[in-house]
Amino acid sequence: MSDGTSIQEFETGYSEPEDIWARTEYFHQDAERHPAVREVRAAFGPAVVTVVRYGDETTIHVEPETLRDVCNFLRTHEQLAFVALSDVTAVDMLKLRTTPRFDVVALLYSIKNRVRLRIKAGVNDGQSVPSLVPLWAGANWLEREVFDMFGIIFEGHPNLKRILLADDWDEGFPLRKDYPLRGWKEFPSYNTERMVPRTRTRWTGRGV
Amino acid sequence: MSTTANPKWIPEFVGDVESTPSSGTYTITDEIQLSDTESQMVLNMGPQHPSTHGVLRVILRLDGEVIIDCDPVIGYLHRGVEKLGESHRYAQVIPWTDRTDYVAAPMNNLGCAMAFEKLAGLESPERAQYWRVIFSELARIASHLVWLGTHALDIGALSMSLYCFRERELILDIFEAYCGARLTTNIMEIGGFSRPIPDFLPDQIREFLKIFPDRQKEYVDLLTANPIWIARTKDIGIISPQAAIDYCLTGACLRGSGVNYDIRKAMPYLVYDRLDFEVPLGTRGDVYDRYLVRMEEMRQAIRIITQCLDAVEPMDTELMAYESAYVIPPHKGTMTTAEDMQRHFIWVIKGFSPPVGEAYFAVEHPKGENGYYVVSDGTSVPYRFRIRSPDFVNLGVLPYVAEGAMLADVVALIGTIDIVLGSVDR
Repeated sequence: MSDGTSIQEFETGYSEPEDIWARTEYFHQDAERHPAVREVRAAFGPAVVTVVRYGDETTIHVEPETLRDVCNFLRTHEQLAFVALSDVTAVDMLKLRTTPRFDVVALLYSIKNRVRLRIKAGVNDGQSVPSLVPLWAGANWLEREVFDMFGIIFEGHPNLKRILLADDWDEGFPLRKDYPLRGWKEFPSYNTERMVPRTRTRWTGRGV
Repeated sequence: MSTTANPKWIPEFVGDVESTPSSGTYTITDEIQLSDTESQMVLNMGPQHPSTHGVLRVILRLDGEVIIDCDPVIGYLHRGVEKLGESHRYAQVIPWTDRTDYVAAPMNNLGCAMAFEKLAGLESPERAQYWRVIFSELARIASHLVWLGTHALDIGALSMSLYCFRERELILDIFEAYCGARLTTNIMEIGGFSRPIPDFLPDQIREFLKIFPDRQKEYVDLLTANPIWIARTKDIGIISPQAAIDYCLTGACLRGSGVNYDIRKAMPYLVYDRLDFEVPLGTRGDVYDRYLVRMEEMRQAIRIITQCLDAVEPMDTELMAYESAYVIPPHKGTMTTAEDMQRHFIWVIKGFSPPVGEAYFAVEHPKGENGYYVVSDGTSVPYRFRIRSPDFVNLGVLPYVAEGAMLADVVALIGTIDIVLGSVDR
């Protein structure tokens, strides 16, 4: 570096993970061979609803009550080490299936193994899901956004209120599929009649 | 006099009126003792404050000059880009992503276009991949220049903003020469580039590459050993590696704390696995370290662009994936052949429908991990379009770093997170 700084060491070598599983297993087309899927199935047998594979991404559907436990299990697992939470979001499945209505999506990332894993929990309208804030403090704002946009309640969240919309927003939750694109209300156009009328002034050339 | 708590905010005059000297000046005999709760003050900063980089509002609870509590209020620039993305066809969504992080628009386009490509199982040709890297690294330098200029301006180095915006102008000229737009470029398309690369563009970029390292040395001379800069940034806003992971930080905020996570290295996309570059890491995790990391990232970006230009200039292959239902047919073909004209008509009028599925694709944005999560139900519009913007998540760490800091450091802390409110609020 040209400036005399304290950053002199660059760690560029991402070492291949030395796991009991081969790295190729993470990307095997058979999702059941994914190491995380095997471990979660062994630990939370009946809580795993289904496992889906699309492209190189694996999704584990779990029961909503166990979402936090599954994430904590994956986070503290020594070899899997899904220590980072990339994203928390939700999908409104109103047009695709009848029940449960929403999918709460938590996207985990393992810095050690360099793989992503998606955990989904299906919840109905009014049903709550355990908050991930005790595990990751960064889930605070992400869950507030999900509440703001979908109205999903996160149990145990320290400060569950609207974040992007106004606090007194009373029109419901915009990213639900039954919410129209332009909203429920008809917002009036800018009313020029109610504006303060412009005083007619004339430059007299005498200062005032 | 009494030392009990005074219920009013402005304390009443409690001096001894009887002993007022005749000269008319009051002397306060006893010092006013306030209780703990009363020595605190709530200060509203923003949303129209110049150093909040947009319309960020921060509510601060102060004890003297020390921050006890901090509550960022966002959403003043919320436009519902995700909802808009769910009502537009796939190719129409990409211009909306320009408007999220408008100082590094090509990177937003790249993430969105590559998420759609991943969903559709499409890959852009090699030459287009090199050009995508070139444009995105130029955008990285432009974004870091805006960050550096405004960050230094907040802390008090006014001239930095003038220098940085001068160099950023050169990059915007390159974007303008290619696509005509400077900020909202819409430069990446599904499948590659539909517009040809002009012949003079490599030379223009090389000229920038020649100019920029010397200019960056000027910034380094101005700031890196500057005692005022060091006093304002060193040991301010320290984030430990564990806290950085707990707060889901990405980008320079994470690497400044010493955690080695760069998507270009960890999960290489495009041609990054063929390029030779390094990822700078911080050691202390303070504002100064994040400054050094971003400065080094600009140098590495110059290295990357040089390598890409060397590799791509001899190439004379296609810029757009062809013979695919998902990409726009070439302009020449639509003018000459009936098949391409029909394909073009369908593509424009009806769009295309990727298979049912979902995809998440993240790029290493100048600010962190910019991820796009797309769910397709088999129609020509995305069923769910989610933007994981890096600075929205990174801004969540502000209450943590601001607690116990001084009031004057808040502008340094907001600056070091590197936020663009268009991307925070989406």
